[in-house]
Amino acid sequence: MTVVPMLKRTLVLDALLAVAIAVVGGGIGLWVAGTPGVLGAVIGAALTFVFMGLTALTVILAARTTKGDLLSPLFFGIVLGGWMVKLAIFLVVAIVFGRSPAIDPLVLFFTVVASVVGSLAIDVYAFMTSRMGYVSDVKLPHETGDSTPPKSSPKADESSD
Amino acid sequence: MDLAELTGHIAPVAFGIATIGPAIGVGLVVGKTVEAVARQPELQGRLTGLMFLGIAFTEALAFIGIAVAFIPFP
Repeated sequence: MTVVPMLKRTLVLDALLAVAIAVVGGGIGLWVAGTPGVLGAVIGAALTFVFMGLTALTVILAARTTKGDLLSPLFFGIVLGGWMVKLAIFLVVAIVFGRSPAIDPLVLFFTVVASVVGSLAIDVYAFMTSRMGYVSDVKLPHETGDSTPPKSSPKADESSD
Repeated sequence: MDLAELTGHIAPVAFGIATIGPAIGVGLVVGKTVEAVARQPELQGRLTGLMFLGIAFTEALAFIGIAVAFIPFP
């Protein structure tokens, strides 16, 4: 599936963004709210990475399982199953940290919003800069390690107007 | 029972309401992509990439709904 390399790149960039936001948000959180601010920023960055990254991870797993068949029911089953996992994670986080004085909720809110916006920017960047062929499951020359041109290239559709 | 006397954790309710719109949006994005792939299977590679970009933007709204649930309202 041609979208898998893009999603892998998105995951790596998302992880780097989560670390950066946890560090910067943790610093600001320490300044405005003390230790609960740091904890709020770290939990917010981690939560965003898990929630935004889980979709990409499930798509990679689904593409591997179904061998890139988008129209396979198993493909959508795995991706939607990942969202059920997200729901379970949210319930646990809401119950554990919902009213806990150990975290600063406002720092967590702003960290999550900043991470989501950053993650979307990364998604757009990864999509714009990735090489995606019009044909799915095609092996590009640098992926196969073969530098020689193909023996028979498909002819362009000359009959179309 | 008076509705004003209800107590408890309102965050899951906020999340539930916040997921309604994105759920419809993701359904539309995926459904239209399947429709487009069925019409033009040769475009599957590019359409799938666009689909995941659409899903990411749509489900980000639901995720901001989660964050709003953590704001300490008086």
